[in-house]
Formats: sequence, structure tokens, C-alpha cells
Amino acid sequence: MKPSAVDAVIRGLKKAGVSIVCYLPDSLFKELYPALDADPDIRTIRVTNEGEGAAICGGVFLSGKRAALVMENSGLRASVEPLARMGLGAGIPVVMLMSYRGELGENNWWAIPHGITMEPVLNALRIPYRIVTEEEKIERAIAEAFSWSYSAYYHSAVALGGSVVR
Amino acid sequence: MKRFDCMKALACRLSDELVILSLGASVDEWYNAAPHMRDASLFQQQLGCVSAQAFGLAAGLPHRRIVSLDTDGGMMFNLGILATIGNEQPHNLFIVVWDNECYQSIGGPPTHTASGRVDIAAIARGAGVTRAYTARTVEEFDGHCAEGLAAQEPHLVVAKVSGTVQPDIKRKHSDGREDKYIFVRHVERTENIVIMGPSEHN
Repeated sequence: MKPSAVDAVIRGLKKAGVSIVCYLPDSLFKELYPALDADPDIRTIRVTNEGEGAAICGGVFLSGKRAALVMENSGLRASVEPLARMGLGAGIPVVMLMSYRGELGENNWWAIPHGITMEPVLNALRIPYRIVTEEEKIERAIAEAFSWSYSAYYHSAVALGGSVVR
Repeated sequence: MKRFDCMKALACRLSDELVILSLGASVDEWYNAAPHMRDASLFQQQLGCVSAQAFGLAAGLPHRRIVSLDTDGGMMFNLGILATIGNEQPHNLFIVVWDNECYQSIGGPPTHTASGRVDIAAIARGAGVTRAYTARTVEEFDGHCAEGLAAQEPHLVVAKVSGTVQPDIKRKHSDGREDKYIFVRHVERTENIVIMGPSEHN
């Protein structure tokens, strides 16, 4: 990611009032994670899998603070169980920011499943999402995902793809 | 040792704390064992994310003591949270793991701890939660409650309880959504904050 795209993500998170980010690092966002770690206004929590991160974000919601789950889109699959329980069972929302692995242009065979499953899994969970491939749309997409999730009390997602991450 | 007796001992020590709990009969037992904590308890039906949610709540409300009432099945479902708690060292999180060595709510098939080889407290210590213990009597358990509620680092107690459920207890009628609203309104009231506020007029 270019430094300007990293800045746009952090601006979006701050605009949305996020003070805690749970993440499991990946390669497409590799420049983002140290920038989040270094930001004095954001506490980062590194997790062992994304489902655990989703559950921690759910707990942060209950505290009145705002959290985001940042991950590769493969982490969506690891998060399905807590997302379904918290979102559909209790109305506890999690806002996710994920890198779009496996989209057209992907050159790693192992990332193909991530692209094929991302949208069907989001649709199965009825999670609205926006795929952002232009840097100038990042900040607004993140802020709008939070607006929606705090109206619906349900999960939402922003996937960053194209030249934003490659 | 009966889980209900342990719950009553813990309940006596609680007033301002927030509690997140797991699934199955332990939910109805806590509802009866700690009637004064009903609004302050998030009743869930979840396997594997109770202590993670409790940690998130502890991170968001660092001045408030958070109690996680987890289970052997739930903790084994997501052991990674122990490593995250071990690394993050929340100073306000007390974790109880009700270990009845079975999936009691579906009739009692054994969990991994029934073998006698799997020790959740030892796993927790290995994950960096150094204050992790196993209690086999109510007195021992109560001592850990006293310590865990005052500790300045994460404290975990595995309560080895029987697979029986307290008879004739009142069943909770609310679902997860109603429980969330009750809990959130309690947090809003006691913290003087807004979590689920009014819609905009536009």
C-alpha cells in the first residue's frame, strides 16, 4: 500500500471514532499495520485468528468504544461463527476492513479461494459491503460502514482491492 | 463441587462489575444465583467467544472490573484468546472457566478435559496468563474470586464442577437481542455514556 492509502485508512477510522483495532497481519496491508501500531490515538490488539478478533470487537462495542477488525479477506471465513452468533443472534455489530485477495489480477494460486469465497460468504451472512479500488474513496467508505453498522446494529465490511493494495 | 454453589459465592462479591457468560444451563443458573447482577450480565449463547468479548469489554472500559464466565467446551473452542490475553495483560479481567468435563446442555458427552490429560489452567499459564489456577472446593474457588476481583493482571480459575444442574431454577425468558439491550442500557446508565443512541433527523 502507498503511504497515502495508509493515511486514508487511518483518516477513515478516526472519522468513524475508532480507538481500537484488532488485526491479524497480512501481506497486502503490510504497510498499514505498523502505521496503526504507531498511531497514538489507536490501540492495536493482535489476535491469533480473525474470529477471535471479531469477538473482541463485539466486546468493545458493548463498552461504548469503537473498534475495527482489519485482516485479509480469508479472515472472513475464520470469523463466520462469531459473526453469525453475535450479529444474527444478539445484534452486536463488527465493522471489518479487509484486503481483497484473489480478485482479478491475483497471481498467487493459494489466494484464489479467498476471492471466490469472499462475496458469497458476505452475502450468506447478509453483510453489506463495498469494494474500494480508488484511494480517494477509502475514507468515506470506512466512515459510511460505521454509520450503517451503528444504525443497523449489524456487521458491515469494506474490501480494499485493485491499485489501492497492489 | 456444584457450579451453582460457586456462582452464589461469586455473586456475593459482585456489585459494580460487568459479567459476560457462556451458554447452556450455566446461563439459567447465573440468572438465579445472581439476581442483583441480571442487568449487569450479558447472557449469551455462544461457544468460543465469551472470554474474547469479555476482553474487548475490558479493553474498552479499563476502569471497570470485567468477569468472564466461560466453560471448558467454550475455552477449548478458541484457545488462542488465552495467548492474546497473555500478551495484552488486561488488569481488569477475571476469567472463570466452569469445567464440568462434558457438553452438559446436550446430554453430557465428554469434552477433552474429561480424559484427565487436558489441563486448561496449565494451558493458560503456558499462554502467558501466569495467574491461572484450578479450584476443586467452593472455599478454594471463593478465594480465587477474592483475588481475581482485586488483581492487577489477568486472573483465571478453572472450577472443576459436577455435571449436574441446579433443580427447579427459574428459566430466563429473554433472547440474545433483548439481553444485549438490557446490558447495553446498564452500561450506558452506569458509565453515563451513549452506546446505542437516537437516530439522526435527516
